[in-house]
Amino acid sequence: MLSVNEKFSAIRKGLLEFLVLQIIAAEKVYVADILKQLSTTQFATQEGTLYPLLSKMRREELLDYEWRESEAGPPRKYYKLTAKGREQLRETLEYWSEINETVKKLGQP
Amino acid sequence: MNKVITINLGGNAYQLEEGGYDLLSNYLDAAAARLHANPDRDEILSDIEGAMAEKFRALLGSHKTVVATKEVATVLAEMGPIEAEPGTSQPGTPGDVGATGAAAAESSNGKPRRLYRINEGAMLAGVCNGIAAYFNLDPTLVRLAFVLLTIFWGTGLLVYVVMAIVVPEACSPEEKAAAAGLPPTAQEFIRRAKAGYYEATKNFPDRKASREWGRRFRRKWRAYAGHWRHHWRDPWTGPAPVFDPRLSYWLPVLSLLVGMATVAWICTSISLLATGTVFGQTLPDNVPVWLAAALVFLTYGILVGPLKVARHLCYKSWGHPGAAGSLVFLLDAAIWFLVVGALLGLALHYFPTLREAVHNLPALAHQAIDDIRTWWNTK
Repeated sequence: MLSVNEKFSAIRKGLLEFLVLQIIAAEKVYVADILKQLSTTQFATQEGTLYPLLSKMRREELLDYEWRESEAGPPRKYYKLTAKGREQLRETLEYWSEINETVKKLGQP
Repeated sequence: MNKVITINLGGNAYQLEEGGYDLLSNYLDAAAARLHANPDRDEILSDIEGAMAEKFRALLGSHKTVVATKEVATVLAEMGPIEAEPGTSQPGTPGDVGATGAAAAESSNGKPRRLYRINEGAMLAGVCNGIAAYFNLDPTLVRLAFVLLTIFWGTGLLVYVVMAIVVPEACSPEEKAAAAGLPPTAQEFIRRAKAGYYEATKNFPDRKASREWGRRFRRKWRAYAGHWRHHWRDPWTGPAPVFDPRLSYWLPVLSLLVGMATVAWICTSISLLATGTVFGQTLPDNVPVWLAAALVFLTYGILVGPLKVARHLCYKSWGHPGAAGSLVFLLDAAIWFLVVGALLGLALHYFPTLREAVHNLPALAHQAIDDIRTWWNTK
């Protein structure tokens, strides 16, 4: 039988985009920041997953980036949300709280 | 003892053990293959490279300059495999899938070429290098063309300076790949990065030496430019060498010859552009019209160059340096323009095909540009 952790792997994957939106909404970050913030959660992930996801989100115009010099190594891409990204985050948060409500309410007398 | 391979990641050189290099190379190849349908493939690959560069840098210090195979393996494990479709658990709409498919088809059709200046292996600003990459030519040929243009018409230098200012420099790996019209696969990245690095280190033992070389070159160049600024008139205004004054009687003849050559060139060009033949003579199959036109122009320049020099010698022998000499020069130029103008006018009057051709010239120019493009693309 699958553990809960395994059962939720697909759901976690789908939620990653939502979490990335939320992280970027707070401040301009680069990939290592995002990975670090996620690393202590159930959503810990790797560059191999994050870069394709970020480029997909940029293609959908949810986020944008700017180059910044770094003292160590090549310049870094700092990501920020676009207006569309913020709108998407707002909608998702709303939807998420509805889901939460449903989960809590269902089966309750 | 392990062999070490130097690579370039995000503009910095890293030394990897050979085993590590193979691992990295395989990883990037696999990533490129898995992302083949992703329209952002190149960008993701260069992001991955940048991330790897940072991780390698964190591993290295003043006493440790080589990344070991085991460390490369660790870094690659940290990065995790590249996922082809992020968020696959999300329901994708059919339209979405179609769009991705179309984009993939587009990207597999080869990247459009872009004109960049390429600094690697450049003599000056990399303009010729960039043009050579754009047209898939030997850079030496392009440089030669520029030198010829400068000698015969003086325009080469001007064009070069303008292009050096206007054309952007290829900095990132994607830009370098776009300059050559290549899809920047991982293999290509690594190969090119290595080649570029070795090219640089072959000539200069370190950064300091390279900078010193640049400084010396600029100083020499400035000295030369300064000298030229102050002394360019010398050959014209200095004491005239002694020539037989009878030489000057040849002046009108020479002017006439140059004028005729010019008219012949213009008529041949028009005939070429209008009918694709040289006065009825068809071109060989593998020579496109624009190339023939360029060759005609070159021939014209080569013919007229010595004539112009001879004309100049005639002015000299006139024995009127300075203001009087300039007056003679102006007068001759005016006569020359009149002759060319009159001949052209007559030609236009008596040859209706020429008249038509001039009328169609703008359309032809557009077509010629298209032809050049398709010819190079099919090559």
